[in-house]
Amino acid sequence: MRREIPLIITISVGFLAILSFFSPPFEPLGEDFTLFFDIIAVFAFFLGGGNLMRVHIDKLIKRKKDWGFSIVTLVGFLVMLVAGLGKIGAESITSDITREGLFSTLYYNVHLPLGSTMYALLAFFVASASYRAFRAKNREATVLLIAAFIILLGSTPIGQMLTNWMPEGMSILEIPNLAVWIMSSPNLAGQRAIMIGIGLGVVSMSLRLILGIERTYLGKDSG
Amino acid sequence: MEHLTFWGHFGVWVAAFLTLGIYSFLYRDNPWYKFTEAVFIGISAGYWVVVLFFDNFYGKFWVGRGEEPMLWIGAILGLMMLMRLVPKIGWIARWPLAFIVGATSGLWMMNYLTSNAMSQVQSTIMPLFGEGFGASFGEIIGNLIIIVGTFTGLIYFFFSKEHKGAFGATARVGIWGLMITFGAMFGYTVMSRMSLLIGRVDFIFRDWLGLIQ
Amino acid sequence: MSPRRSTTGARPPVLCSCLLIPLVFFFLFLTNSASLAQGETEVVDTTATTPLAPVTSLLAQDFKYDDGDKLMLTWVPSIDDIPVTGRVTAYEVYQICNNGEPHRIAELLPEVSTFRVEELHRDSSYQFYVLALAEDASAQSVVTAAITPEQEWLKWNWLNLMVMTIVVCGAVMVFIKTATKGRKLFVRKIAGLEAVDEAIGRATEMGRPILYIPGINDMDDVQTLASLTILGHVAEQVANYDIKIRMPVARSLVMTAARETIKAGYQTAGRPDAYTDDMVSYITDEQFGYVAAVNGIMVREKPATVFLLGAFFAESLILAETGNSVGAIQIAGTARPAQLPFFIAACDFTLIGEELFAASAYLSDEPKALGSLKGQDVGKGIAMAAIIIGVTLTTLATLTGAEWMSSATELIRSWFVVTD
Repeated sequence: MRREIPLIITISVGFLAILSFFSPPFEPLGEDFTLFFDIIAVFAFFLGGGNLMRVHIDKLIKRKKDWGFSIVTLVGFLVMLVAGLGKIGAESITSDITREGLFSTLYYNVHLPLGSTMYALLAFFVASASYRAFRAKNREATVLLIAAFIILLGSTPIGQMLTNWMPEGMSILEIPNLAVWIMSSPNLAGQRAIMIGIGLGVVSMSLRLILGIERTYLGKDSG
Repeated sequence: MEHLTFWGHFGVWVAAFLTLGIYSFLYRDNPWYKFTEAVFIGISAGYWVVVLFFDNFYGKFWVGRGEEPMLWIGAILGLMMLMRLVPKIGWIARWPLAFIVGATSGLWMMNYLTSNAMSQVQSTIMPLFGEGFGASFGEIIGNLIIIVGTFTGLIYFFFSKEHKGAFGATARVGIWGLMITFGAMFGYTVMSRMSLLIGRVDFIFRDWLGLIQ
Repeated sequence: MSPRRSTTGARPPVLCSCLLIPLVFFFLFLTNSASLAQGETEVVDTTATTPLAPVTSLLAQDFKYDDGDKLMLTWVPSIDDIPVTGRVTAYEVYQICNNGEPHRIAELLPEVSTFRVEELHRDSSYQFYVLALAEDASAQSVVTAAITPEQEWLKWNWLNLMVMTIVVCGAVMVFIKTATKGRKLFVRKIAGLEAVDEAIGRATEMGRPILYIPGINDMDDVQTLASLTILGHVAEQVANYDIKIRMPVARSLVMTAARETIKAGYQTAGRPDAYTDDMVSYITDEQFGYVAAVNGIMVREKPATVFLLGAFFAESLILAETGNSVGAIQIAGTARPAQLPFFIAACDFTLIGEELFAASAYLSDEPKALGSLKGQDVGKGIAMAAIIIGVTLTTLATLTGAEWMSSATELIRSWFVVTD
């Protein structure tokens, strides 16, 4: 039973999901499945949140390296839980905690700026990635480099300044125009090839999953 | 800055302290970053538990559980997932996993087939010289590159044949086309990321230090 | 005498005419202005009293290819519904269910001439009428004949999609069947996947852990599923070489599935006791909170090998660059084209789109799985053939003006269009 039931579930749910695409009476199933997933994900949070607590409590008890920071994580987690679920500082039980109360304050003063800052770190990493990409180890990398360089220059006034001397008939070769052309032609071609490939790759992989050819996620003793 | 209350100022200082903590990682791993990281993990994990509880559990299940008996299937599957905590019957947790894998595979298979594969093929079927010979020289070259680039790109992804001879040469054209695509996306993203940095620098110098008015 | 008389006699008419002409003009002016004024009044009055024209040709039809819960209403707008200057301000749609009382179901803007009625029942009959509204009047259309929505079992307008699905899936299944029968199937080498075992071997030599990042999306993303299928193979190798694997995740469900997968890998390798749940740990659902933690793990534990396989967004660059900075050999793969350039720049091997989905089949080396790769090549063949034939025909059609070529092109194109 441990082996067969999960496979039967995958196969039947997979085919029903495909059927929901083609058959109007089965159409609502697609939405239902998504809804079930959302509900399952909430229950799974007990496992995830529980794991987070367990890992850090374990680190704290065993005085592992950097255990002090585990206290910070645990306090942050619990404060946010109490502030949100208990609606601390909110005017009433029906209040929207994302707009008022301690939960909202912590979100706007800690969570949000930290997220924005991590996101902004990208600017620094993009610089080091550019350095790496612009070393052009082989011919393919050189092609990548040239295309990136034209797009970069084309988005700045320098690109305009460098090539605005070109005669009217050769305006396509002006860097900003060239950048637009690259985005709308060669870039599009590559994107299309990738997308068609992905589409077919997903079909093939999904079939392997639905037919039970791939089932490692179900554990060894299930199949 | 002047119109902020004490707590408003305190919030800005906390945000600034944490912002710089994250940036300190660029130098090296250090206690300031570790502290900021720990705060971020704790606060954000708690945030998502609360948001998912209210949005998904309360909003999608609890409110409609009486009128929509189907919702109970989701809840039962969710409870089965928790069986993972009981070692003897932990294997039941595979049932909801099997459900999720089946549903995701089936739904995405059709979505990807239509929105990725079929629609892209349809868009590529176009007259080389434009509708009614309307294309300029540049557009004709562009159309040709789109068609050739898509075709050779697909050749590159072919698994059944070794990339040798004429087939290999075509695949090589394909990989060059893909590299131009990656280069274009790289350049495009670099420009957008720079604006993010400007945003955070603006926070530090305007909101926190008040150096920019 | 007579001329003089006549001259003298002519004087009074001249005088008269001199006086008369202005008088006539004055009279004409008065009458004209009076009639103008009267006319204006009449126009206003006429407008106010003219009844509003109702919508015409109102038709209720079954909405095709639905579950029998929709009907489609079409009508010709009122002749008073003219852009800008028209009198019609809105249309109201009324529904009569099973000869009951009419009730309003929608208020629509002027110039609208269709409406899809939803949430109906197959066991009821419905009639409709449309009320055209103006500032000072309203006009009701005729009531439609009673109609019951019909259920269709298949969306026949998606016949092309059905055929395409059957052809592509059929090809995959035929090749799987062929492979099962023992026929040797050739699949070319994929550099990024050839490097997987080498990367695991490197971690063994260096005595450092392997870091496996399955992206930041949940189990409802096929990229995450693809990543987990690859993880199965990696876990088996990790168990064989007895090295440490570390897998921080951003989703609780992924944590559960990844634990099952790694456990299965250890069981296959014959070392079930070496497995612990601690190999996979949940961090946070927050995109950048997760990134902050993974960055920390990378610089503190200095993994020898980093796998970045799954759905990645802006964080791809931060993760790949940090991994690169600690000297790890990195194998990345995603189906998100916008993130691929960063993986190409910062990682040693990158699985581009489709290669990510093919990876588990390739790594497993199982005939059935390899057969599925052959099957998806058939799909690519169809796509390439359609592009070449379609482009040739449509280009020739513009050159020669041949009607049949245009029709053939449209036919080919229509096989790839999915419309509602």
